[in-house]
Amino acid sequence: MSTPSNDLRSGKPQELLQRYLQAVRFWLPKSQQEDILAELSEDLRSQVEDKETELGRPLDETELGAILKKCGNPMRVASRYQPGQYLIGPTWFPVYRFVLKLVLLWVLIPVFVVIVGPAIVLSNPDRGAGLLQTFGNLWTAWIIAGGVITLVFAILERVQVKCDVADKWDPRSLPPLAKEQVQSGAKSICEIAFGVLALIWLLLAPQYPVLAFGPAAAFLKFGPLWHQFYIPMILLTLFGLAHQIIGLARPQWNWLPPLGRLLSIVLTLIVLNFVINAAGHTAHNEWHPFVTLVDRAQDSARYNQIAALVNVSVLLSIAGTWLGLSIAAVIETWKLLRLIRKRIPQGHNAAPFRAA
Amino acid sequence: MTNGNQANADLFENLRLELRRGCLIVAVLAQLRTEQYGYTLRKSLAEDGLAIDEGTLYPLLRRLESQGLLVSQWREEDKRNKRFYRLSPAGEPILKQLLDEWQSINASLERILQEA
Repeated sequence: MSTPSNDLRSGKPQELLQRYLQAVRFWLPKSQQEDILAELSEDLRSQVEDKETELGRPLDETELGAILKKCGNPMRVASRYQPGQYLIGPTWFPVYRFVLKLVLLWVLIPVFVVIVGPAIVLSNPDRGAGLLQTFGNLWTAWIIAGGVITLVFAILERVQVKCDVADKWDPRSLPPLAKEQVQSGAKSICEIAFGVLALIWLLLAPQYPVLAFGPAAAFLKFGPLWHQFYIPMILLTLFGLAHQIIGLARPQWNWLPPLGRLLSIVLTLIVLNFVINAAGHTAHNEWHPFVTLVDRAQDSARYNQIAALVNVSVLLSIAGTWLGLSIAAVIETWKLLRLIRKRIPQGHNAAPFRAA
Repeated sequence: MTNGNQANADLFENLRLELRRGCLIVAVLAQLRTEQYGYTLRKSLAEDGLAIDEGTLYPLLRRLESQGLLVSQWREEDKRNKRFYRLSPAGEPILKQLLDEWQSINASLERILQEA
């Protein structure tokens, strides 16, 4: 065997080795520190002795540094002795990711878009500040929810609760094959036909109120409020028609339907927002009516009651549509993101194959 | 292009490490049919073409010992305390099973490669 080295017992190389072992010690579990370090130190000393025998002289600091460098970063060396290096292990991780996505994206965002956001924005005289407050609250809710979910799964991981879903399953209970969502030609044609009918209806409704009110057109007419939104509504309908026609002509552009629908929904939401705002902006804190009475019916108390009822119904319908479209916007965004993710090649990011 | 080469090199390194991982366990257990301490074990493995760094070997030895496949003992040799490892009685049948499995995998691979 090689001759014991005296040079490591004093001077700078010895100090360097001690510093290295001290750095490793810092990251080791207390109960095993001495044992692990004694073994590691013995190995390093043996390496040094062999090298010194080979060179026929004591190692200098640089040469010892090269041996330590080859041994590895102290934190990394220590980490290899630690069991359970992950917060949430492979058994629970898919469930954790699913729950996290569900809560952060599909619960909190819709709740903030549909309930919390409108409540804050509408109750705040400064809409911009209200919007900022909503984002701030959403961010806080994300952090808290993410932290709580992570904590729960970390505890589950530590107490080694077995995932029954992973062990007890029956292949026959697997969900049926998902049908590939291909926009059929017939469906597109139907959508275009309805779009054309809606456009015709919009163009004719001002001249023929009976198309909107039916027999009530004898005493009801559109309120002046609609004049400023008439052109945007026609443009929106034309936009919807345009993306449906392009979708029919270019079925291979599978990104177009979700993108077109999303844009259409967002534009409609913007217009509806303006409609609601315009309806609420009056000098006497009253709503601008969506429908009014024709001149000859102005004095009828019964017609006034009907007009008031229609106005409330229209307002509720617009509010309901706004809520529905907000949810639809979230769903379409998700569909679009999923499509984008499918189109991005995964390359080398794929997880390595694990043999059983 | 350079990024692509680097990515391929990284991928190969990952796959190589995965391939080696199981083989190293068998090699360590087989070498420890004769008692050795860590450094001499590393040297003998390296001489046989299976170099393993200290940061990998010692945690592996501890794991195998905690699984009951190895036994260890601190002893003085050349005026220094060294930890000697050897295959435990419980480790012997496991090593035999692992060697049978390895030979079976090896034979399968040989057949697959001959067919290709």
